Amino acid sequence: MRNRREGGGASATTFYLAVVVVAAVVLAAVATRVRPISAGPDLIAVLALALLAVAYPRVVVGDRVQLAISSIVMLAAQAVVGPAAVALVGAVVGPFQGSTWQGRVFNSAQFSFFGCLGGLAFLGAGGSLDPADLSGVGAVVVHLAIPMIVADVVQVLANAVLLSGMLRVAMGIPVRLQIGLLLRSTGAAALGYGVIAFILVVLWIPAQLGPFAALMVLAPLLVAHWAYSQHAEEVQGQQRVLEVLVAAVEAKAPHLVGHSARVAELSGHMAERLGLTPQQVADTRMAGMLHDVGQTSLPTRVVRELDLTGSVIGADYPAAGADLLGDLTFLHGALAPIRDHRTTPTTTSEDSLPTRIVAVADSWDLLTQVGAPGQRLHAPAEAREALAARPSIGDDLLRALDHALSRNPADEAVS
Amino acid sequence: MTPFVRRPQALGSWAVVLVGVLAVTTGLLGAGNLLPTLVRTHGHTLLLVVAIVAVGELLRIRMPSGRETAPLSSAAALAVVFLGRIQGEPTFALESGLVVLVVAAGLAGAAVVRRLRHERVGAPALAARVVGVWVAAGLARGLGPSDGTLWAAQLDSTASQALVALGMVAVAVVGLLTELVLVAGIRAEQQRTPWLAAVRDEVGEAAPLTLAVVVTGPMVALLAPVLGLLSLPVALVPLAMAYSAVRQYARNRETNRQLIGTLSHLTEHGGYTPVHHAERVAELSLRVGRVLGLGDRQLRSLEYAALLHDLGQISLLDPIPDGATVLAAPADQRDIAEEGARIIRRAETLDDVARFVETQTTAYRLVRELGEPVPLESRIIKCANAFDDLTSGSSDPVLVNAAMERIHLGLGYEYDPDVVDALTRVVEDATVGRVDDRSSAAR
Repeated sequence: MRNRREGGGASATTFYLAVVVVAAVVLAAVATRVRPISAGPDLIAVLALALLAVAYPRVVVGDRVQLAISSIVMLAAQAVVGPAAVALVGAVVGPFQGSTWQGRVFNSAQFSFFGCLGGLAFLGAGGSLDPADLSGVGAVVVHLAIPMIVADVVQVLANAVLLSGMLRVAMGIPVRLQIGLLLRSTGAAALGYGVIAFILVVLWIPAQLGPFAALMVLAPLLVAHWAYSQHAEEVQGQQRVLEVLVAAVEAKAPHLVGHSARVAELSGHMAERLGLTPQQVADTRMAGMLHDVGQTSLPTRVVRELDLTGSVIGADYPAAGADLLGDLTFLHGALAPIRDHRTTPTTTSEDSLPTRIVAVADSWDLLTQVGAPGQRLHAPAEAREALAARPSIGDDLLRALDHALSRNPADEAVS
Repeated sequence: MTPFVRRPQALGSWAVVLVGVLAVTTGLLGAGNLLPTLVRTHGHTLLLVVAIVAVGELLRIRMPSGRETAPLSSAAALAVVFLGRIQGEPTFALESGLVVLVVAAGLAGAAVVRRLRHERVGAPALAARVVGVWVAAGLARGLGPSDGTLWAAQLDSTASQALVALGMVAVAVVGLLTELVLVAGIRAEQQRTPWLAAVRDEVGEAAPLTLAVVVTGPMVALLAPVLGLLSLPVALVPLAMAYSAVRQYARNRETNRQLIGTLSHLTEHGGYTPVHHAERVAELSLRVGRVLGLGDRQLRSLEYAALLHDLGQISLLDPIPDGATVLAAPADQRDIAEEGARIIRRAETLDDVARFVETQTTAYRLVRELGEPVPLESRIIKCANAFDDLTSGSSDPVLVNAAMERIHLGLGYEYDPDVVDALTRVVEDATVGRVDDRSSAAR
């Protein structure tokens, strides 16, 4: 779970919700004056499509939604049924996404608003609602393709702004940061969606396929969907295999069971606290997880007698671990900390921060949870003192450690 | 110096190439005299489709199993089959024979580029595509009276365009399946694997992409009356998105395979097992598995299990000599296998793999006499491991013969006779059961 900062509270959320709902209603009213809704088979087909699209499970890889079929349907609808009808479609479809009633209402208003705004932008940019009358490729480009791109951009922006506003009010996430994040994660894909929506419209109306067009256009999308879910599965599988790697270490060194997972957690939290980028945080966490893999290159008897609690330098198993993992491109960022976490850092530069983080997290866990063979564990206060006495560990790292430990009280309860 | 086109090793590949040549020749004989007119009237269209067919062919995807497909090229070829009215250009009214020539020209272009880059051309696979297009073009443009073909129906404003689209997709499916079945046949022959298993894998693994390809061709033809030649690049966008998603997935699979490979190195770095032993056992197991007709998913788990079959040695206090489990006491073998399975079980997704590792030591006698459920995969690994332990990875005929002799002594008692049979074929012929013929190609 992400760290939720306090936002404006429940009343602010409700107020923001009300503003968005009013804005959506006003915009829909304006759109109805510009171009009244005409009920017909097309509207029913668009509604059915939009409902199907939201019912379809989204694929999320990492933090990104890879495919949002509903935005393609909304985009195409702007040219097929017009802005007021899109507002209606958005309002009907929105409540199917979200878990709380506020969430559903917000989605309804938000879908309606950005869809309608996109529809108006489409008309404003010279878009034609009768694409069958367009003659010549030039006319199709000027009165359909370009207006659809404009609508696409407007729709994506409106969506990002409304959503970021909600996240700011509810969770205190800065608007600018959130908009940037949303745009980056949808950017290139949104352009692709625009093209697909364009194909859908051309097949639907001028090529006279009607709603059957959707079937043709959606086939490749389903493939992409399939591939992305396979991809997500593989990414998960990767995590699992890494756990097997750790399990192999623990089979050799039963006293280290759970150590790698704890160091990974602690390293990740410290890296976040010290303001590293998401990639660096992930790398540091990974390094924490795999820092002991090199021990597999030592004879089992040696591993079981190893005393790692002191600040002893010179063990060469970390280098063996880094060598072992050197071929894996996705681990490149984690190699340096794995190799160097038991050496005294020569610099205190930003670059060596992940290494120093893993070193501190490792030492802390060894002192408080693992211990030297045949000796007692250190109490937290004692361990902190021992760490503070090491010249290579600065105040910033100790503070980050304190913070990371306070984030997970369960760990402290164990010690 | 390699020949321009690698000589197909066997009859089936030759047959496919011959049919492909026949299709092109029929096209030339039937309508060759129209070629100059064709080039004059349809210059732009021809240039575009030939280029896209060629470029698409150069952008093959390597699927996780090692198969290669060229979805963009297949889709563009099918587009040529259906293309009719084109906004701003003359109607693409071609004999089906000419359609074959156009596609063959694109593929030939790609073959030349490949040849110049010293890559494998893969003539039988290209011929299979030509034959597929021949079939599809015959169905769309040749079947029925001259004004009653599927192709003519798209020009008829009274016909339901949705039905026409449906017909096009159906024809595209037939054409593409023709190609896939032929390719599967070629592959089955090259790898000496069961033909039905090859068809199942070919169609199965390609199925999702095939779905996208069969709609893209018709989509181009249906968009063309409105968008003109722009319809080609535009209609390929959704397919290109699917293509990039599939590529990403394939690359990820590769990474996972690499990761498992790293796990298999653990015991090597620790000095428990000889270097490359796990890799060799995995390769041998895969080839035996293919000969026995295992499916893709099974092969993947088999490969992972073979790579990790010695993982249990990692926690041994006293390493066994040369890591050769075949020479260790049965009880020790069993302990090692169980320890390995226990470690692998940490990942729930690898449950199959853990099971294969766990039962790899069970003697075949127990399967036969006591009905112990030992998966085929485990029996394969048992055999492959014994072979590699006994030969130490050497291909010296004396060692290989001695190893096979010793394995034959345990036939039916220690080892599954079917597996030993397959192993014998694999050991005797280096091409049996190999998917990746890139290693033997000029690169």
